[in-house]
Amino acid sequence: MKSSEKSPQVFSKHMTGKKTQEHLANFERLLSEMIDPRPDKTGSLENIRVLEVSSANYPATICASMLGELGAEVLKIEPPEGDPAREVTPYGVNIKGVGLPFLMENRNKRNITMDLSTETGRANLKKLAGGADVLIDAMKPGELDAIEAGYRHLSDVNPSLIYVAVSPFGHFTSKAERCRDIPDSDLTAQAESGFSMLIGDPREPEPYNYPLRAGIWAASYMSGALATAGTLTALLHRNKTGEGQMVDIATNDAISAWQGFSAVWGFTMEQPRVRIGNFDWGLYPYGYYKAKDGYVTVCAALDHDFRGLLKILGRWDLEDDWKFLFDRLTDDPEKLQELETEIEKEIAKYTCDELFRKTFEYGIKATRDKLRSKGFPIVVETKLPHQVVEEKHWQIRKSFQEVDVPGFGKITIPASPPQMSESPMRIKWIKGTIGEDDEEIYAQYGLEK
Amino acid sequence: MKGDYFSFTEQLFNPSAAAEKPEALKQIRVLDLSRIIYGPMVAKWLGMFGAEVIKVEEPEEGDDWRTGTYWGKFWKDSCPYFQSLNPNKYFVTINLKEQKGKELLLEIAKNVDVVIENYRAGLTEAWGIGYTTVSKINPKVIYISCSGYGQYGPLKFYPSYDIVAQSMSGVARGTGFPDRKTYKLPDYYGDFLPALFGAIGVLAALNARERTGKGQYIDMAQSEGLMRVMHNWTYMAQTGDDLGCTGNNDPTMAPSGIFRTRDGKFLAIAVATGKQCVSLLKAMEKAELAEKKEYVETLARLKPENARVLNMLLEEWVASKNENEVIELALKWEFPVGQVMDDEKIVNDDWRRERGSIVDFDDEMYGKGKWAGPAVSLSKTPGRLKWLSRPIGYHNRYIFKTLLGFSDDKIKELEKDGVIGYWDNRVGKRPPEYWNIEKDEIFNYGKGK
Repeated sequence: MKSSEKSPQVFSKHMTGKKTQEHLANFERLLSEMIDPRPDKTGSLENIRVLEVSSANYPATICASMLGELGAEVLKIEPPEGDPAREVTPYGVNIKGVGLPFLMENRNKRNITMDLSTETGRANLKKLAGGADVLIDAMKPGELDAIEAGYRHLSDVNPSLIYVAVSPFGHFTSKAERCRDIPDSDLTAQAESGFSMLIGDPREPEPYNYPLRAGIWAASYMSGALATAGTLTALLHRNKTGEGQMVDIATNDAISAWQGFSAVWGFTMEQPRVRIGNFDWGLYPYGYYKAKDGYVTVCAALDHDFRGLLKILGRWDLEDDWKFLFDRLTDDPEKLQELETEIEKEIAKYTCDELFRKTFEYGIKATRDKLRSKGFPIVVETKLPHQVVEEKHWQIRKSFQEVDVPGFGKITIPASPPQMSESPMRIKWIKGTIGEDDEEIYAQYGLEK
Repeated sequence: MKGDYFSFTEQLFNPSAAAEKPEALKQIRVLDLSRIIYGPMVAKWLGMFGAEVIKVEEPEEGDDWRTGTYWGKFWKDSCPYFQSLNPNKYFVTINLKEQKGKELLLEIAKNVDVVIENYRAGLTEAWGIGYTTVSKINPKVIYISCSGYGQYGPLKFYPSYDIVAQSMSGVARGTGFPDRKTYKLPDYYGDFLPALFGAIGVLAALNARERTGKGQYIDMAQSEGLMRVMHNWTYMAQTGDDLGCTGNNDPTMAPSGIFRTRDGKFLAIAVATGKQCVSLLKAMEKAELAEKKEYVETLARLKPENARVLNMLLEEWVASKNENEVIELALKWEFPVGQVMDDEKIVNDDWRRERGSIVDFDDEMYGKGKWAGPAVSLSKTPGRLKWLSRPIGYHNRYIFKTLLGFSDDKIKELEKDGVIGYWDNRVGKRPPEYWNIEKDEIFNYGKGK
């Protein structure tokens, strides 16, 4: 049984009154309209023009892509030979020379070329920036400034411009100046954010015990999303005052600043955390386990959830020693391993599906219980990506979309969360060719060839 | 010719002048019904940039994360994590199980721009405080539901936490070495990234409202947030394979990895472009390899057989150098390098302090501490910390008096009916021991007047 085949009324007790039914019916109507937004519903940034001055910098590219999804008109400005980011792709897999991340993050953009090493190219950039709402600077800090297309030059001409700078150490501070020539990458930003230091298991043999890379572009996407949120915040200020400003993102600081927990530990414990494998810093059980036929994720850290788990696994004998989260602290991994070994042993007796079914059925019953003290331990299969794609739930929600890229064929990409009822995010097109829109855009804005 | 760029930006951003600058979201009022991390972080972004955030908690119990601390650590009777997640908010209580509580909530909802909730799908609708009800009395409201799987689809009622979302989205199976165990991403990345997508949705909707005058409903699904940032789907559709685990090598960059230096430090290096690769090879005194097509051309270099050769050479080279030497060479030759930072280095980092992303903050109730500042720097409307979290119900009087104009008698009546309430004596919920709450002017706001 797939997890998606079940859809119980978890809150049935609350959902029986006439008024409640009416609210829920209205809500259903709203949601059904959101699955396929009406074509006349325009994006949030419909009247906003964005320039992405790109240079092998994915956080900037992702930000531009997100603004495009929100309805902005995005011009991606590449050098005549193309943005080197075009070739950054898993194992070199490409379509006609263009990498997959590039196509995935070229949502709703127009591709134009400009040679910023020439006088003409620089004049064209300044002309475009004079009428733009947002400029995303993905170059080295100070590089655009050196050709008199930095924030101070462009804001003289266009005071309402929002100038978004994306770089490893940012555009100000003494360290940023010293390190301005170090290019951005996801892995180096993960490391600088203290993220890698927390992943991995010190009990593993070398080199498997090293600080470990998160298997997604954790830093680049966090940075790109932060840049997007910063841009939208600056746009709200501009709406009130007409005033633009400069927005600065340091990709090496994105995760640590937004998540903030490294600061919390550093401040309160006055020492750094060391890696503790798949134990969590605050919760137990909260990790991955091997089942009979695959892997499961167990999340039952609150005391009542933990009690539920012990009942389901038939190990109430463990309750006495490990009753409270306070008994299950991960500060002594060796001691906690005693409990972990017992839980591992029990989980291994069942299939993923048995575990899901048992905990789900238990949880639903417990949710209806008046005292709500029996918990809802969660055990789900730790899914491989190909299982995720098969999940009916995401198909219904159109969470993956197939886009026909002219000249490149169809590609599958994830849709754009969140889903919005009035100004939906959309993937209107993806273009892959360098300079595909040169002719149209150069003519439209009176640029010089 | 203008002066030096970094002197200009230093003055432009200068975090010590931030407190005097205007706030971008000054007139925005937010009603935050959410708990734990995912919802509260949407509100944190808004609060850091000037919105008035009213956080509603259940009397006596409050947000679960008030006690969700690590290793039993409390700081001045509060949970340090909770402090980091909930600055700049007004803490009120409402008992939503009481009809009078729902009425009180709707009174506030009439006067707000944004509502945030992260209950299970449809629950606020069933309670009569959902979007379809609130939008009738406040058509301009932007209402975001932050749930695990979204508001529709067969999985909608299933519970979710960070780690569950990591598993349901497929993130969980991508971190680790091939054929060994996989690791979760630390510090609740599965909450923090989707929260940022939620904030983007709200900010976009606020921008749209400026143009259309209309509010809207936003359905944010945690797992979809994680799915949005994975290349797996595109890769799978193209090649038929899962991307798999690649240990410390980023399959989109070659060479790449986390390596150990001669002096026992860990450094991340990841090369994105051909130009960077040539620079690195020169720094490694392996210029002869820079002549070879298979190492210079990026798409060829990324092929596993070529990437493997470069990774081995790089590993040996880093092992023969001290950390400082590699960083100096990176500055000279311009290839991406990152130190593997830890909690202690992060909280004491001069660079972050200069940026304002670590702040030494003196709170009126809790005194001095070190906390994460805004994750993005805005030159004209910088984000800022104004106060830390407060005990349960601390702002009841302040908000009900200033926003709703309630009298002392009315407040007393609500207290007597159990509609509003305060902390009990448990740690994490109460004021610090040394605090004289009787003399606190905010807590006792307008008493007897």
